[in-house]
Amino acid sequence: MPFLTRRAVVAAFAALAAVMVGAPHSARAELADITTRGTLRVAVPQDFPPFGSVGLDMTPQGYDIDVAKLIAEKLGVKIELTPVTSANRIPFLQTNKVDLVISSLGKNPDREKVIDFSTAYAPFFNGVFAPDNVAVTKVEDLSGKTVGVTRGSVEDLELTKIIPADATVKRYDNNNGTISAFLSGQVQVVATGNVVAAAIIEKNPPKKPLLKFLIKNSPCFVGMNKDQPNLKAKVDEIIAAAKADGTMNAIAQKWLKTDLPKDL
Amino acid sequence: MMEFSTWDIVRNLLLAARWTIVLSLVAFAGGATVGLVILFLRISKQKAARVFAGGYIELFQGTPLLMQLFLSFFGLSLLGVEVPAWLAASVALILWTASFLAEIWRGCVESIPKGQWEASASLGMGRFEQMRHVILPQALTIAIPPTVGFSVQVVKGTSLTSIIGFTELAKAGQVLTNATFMPFTVYGFVALIYFALCFPLSKSSQFLERKLNVAHRDH
Amino acid sequence: MGYVFDYSWIGEYSGVLLKGLWLTVWLILVGATFGVALGIFCAWVRALGPKWARPIVGAYVELIRNTPFLIQLFFIFFGLPSLGVQMGETQAALLAMIINLGAYGCEIVRAGIQATTKGQFEAGWSLGLSRIETFRHVVLIPALQRIWPALSSQIVIVMLGSAVVSQIAAEDISYAADFIQSRTFRAFETYIVATLIYLALAILLRQLLKGVGWVLFPKRSAAR
Repeated sequence: MPFLTRRAVVAAFAALAAVMVGAPHSARAELADITTRGTLRVAVPQDFPPFGSVGLDMTPQGYDIDVAKLIAEKLGVKIELTPVTSANRIPFLQTNKVDLVISSLGKNPDREKVIDFSTAYAPFFNGVFAPDNVAVTKVEDLSGKTVGVTRGSVEDLELTKIIPADATVKRYDNNNGTISAFLSGQVQVVATGNVVAAAIIEKNPPKKPLLKFLIKNSPCFVGMNKDQPNLKAKVDEIIAAAKADGTMNAIAQKWLKTDLPKDL
Repeated sequence: MMEFSTWDIVRNLLLAARWTIVLSLVAFAGGATVGLVILFLRISKQKAARVFAGGYIELFQGTPLLMQLFLSFFGLSLLGVEVPAWLAASVALILWTASFLAEIWRGCVESIPKGQWEASASLGMGRFEQMRHVILPQALTIAIPPTVGFSVQVVKGTSLTSIIGFTELAKAGQVLTNATFMPFTVYGFVALIYFALCFPLSKSSQFLERKLNVAHRDH
Repeated sequence: MGYVFDYSWIGEYSGVLLKGLWLTVWLILVGATFGVALGIFCAWVRALGPKWARPIVGAYVELIRNTPFLIQLFFIFFGLPSLGVQMGETQAALLAMIINLGAYGCEIVRAGIQATTKGQFEAGWSLGLSRIETFRHVVLIPALQRIWPALSSQIVIVMLGSAVVSQIAAEDISYAADFIQSRTFRAFETYIVATLIYLALAILLRQLLKGVGWVLFPKRSAAR
């Protein structure tokens, strides 16, 4: 081990402390920056079927990816997809690694404080899922059970508010972790999206996540950094047009196998 | 419905392993360069330089690589430096690697007998010349086995970039686990590929070490 | 637009951080104790154990040293259940740390043992000590003295490496940071604070191990 003086230790702490209070600057990409650059950088999921998962060649595919491609196409720019997890998608945006988050992102007041949202582009109902033999029909039944959830997701935030005190919540870093934990029997119950559970069941897993009860109707929105009125207006316009001309419905049919709800 | 065969799993893992190799090479080459600078500062005659290098080593060896990755990832852009994801990951890996290599090499430099410094100084060599012509060539031979040995840690360290979302071998393993529901098989293969990358490095480090020891004994 | 640092969340979430700190400390204290014990045992097997067991231990050591800790952790937590071996995340994290430290510890202790000459060993035997006693007094204790600094560094490395156990939802310091970050959206500030905690912990752990060395090997320390 390094033979280090106390001075070195002090220097190490001082360096960290300096970083803690530094006055940094963060540039935000407005619509004009994106068109000048010629690429739209979008954060998409790769562990959240049917919104985003990988195909046989490991490229992302899904509802969110199709929406991202649609927006890039309408903006007349190339697309650059960045796979993100539920936990780090907002930091990706905040640190300007991407222009948009199209990652089945739900809206809530806390998130609205830090980022802006477009109009909704996809329906999303999250709920609590477990195999047949687990008797749960309402939130109180979770008492004494272990529930897996993806940290920072809407289901995590909502479930944390309502779950009984003697239930255990295991929060995984990403949906891969949550789903793996459920399938390997590390948790008996998971909280996730209804279509996500459906996509898992479709692949005929060893344990089937069946709907026990719904937590919240939480449609998906495109997330972007604040103070970008032009970008927000343009994304809203593209989504509205896609809803009107049936493009969005075709994406819903393709991935969710159902029409878009009328009230979306 | 798409189905992944065992070959699909292995093929995708091998493709992802390319990124593990690229990241390792970048981290190692960059780390060696920065590490050399830190080494010079660490053995400098200037006290300030020594303290700086000591603090640097303490900081990067005394904190988890995972935290360094997060900070580099989310911190660089807050400081106004716009970098793509792979570069942010590389920066953290490079700085971390440098702290270990600098320390390993310092041990090697210091194992050169003091008399050599004195002898070369009496020949009128400056500190840089002493390092270049007398100390480093000898230290280099001693340094090769532990340096090769540490490269194993670098390869393994790149697996942490999966946590910040970089799609390399470990991440591909996670993704494929969920596409196939076969964690045992997938992580088994992931481990085997890492082993195939690291084991030859470990072995050559041990081989070089033995060879060096024999060479020394023959003297 | 400038980014303004905000640490106002620390008060609200200090409980979460403390809980995380406690698990990290617990993991390393228990993990290091059993990991070092496993390392010594493996070193004994490789040096003096039954012939058939030596290659098995050798394979274990190479396998662990040449694969990432993260993958070992995933394998134990997600992979083993398909063989019917199920354990919680804290046990899985602890087990992974013990197995990992055991492999490195084995190599470190072995290096120390190899410095013991055959003559010393034979001297021990001729004094009528049993195989185990000779190993303990003549080989192991002097070896441990020699390699204690290296072993201490490895323990610190394992502690820092344990940051990834948050990936299987073991609630350590980095889990606390991830959790807070997902609530406050203050990623950078949260990780800075977590990093400082780890740094302090690494320095304290190193001091503690130095102290343990003094207690375990008083003669040598006194001679210094």
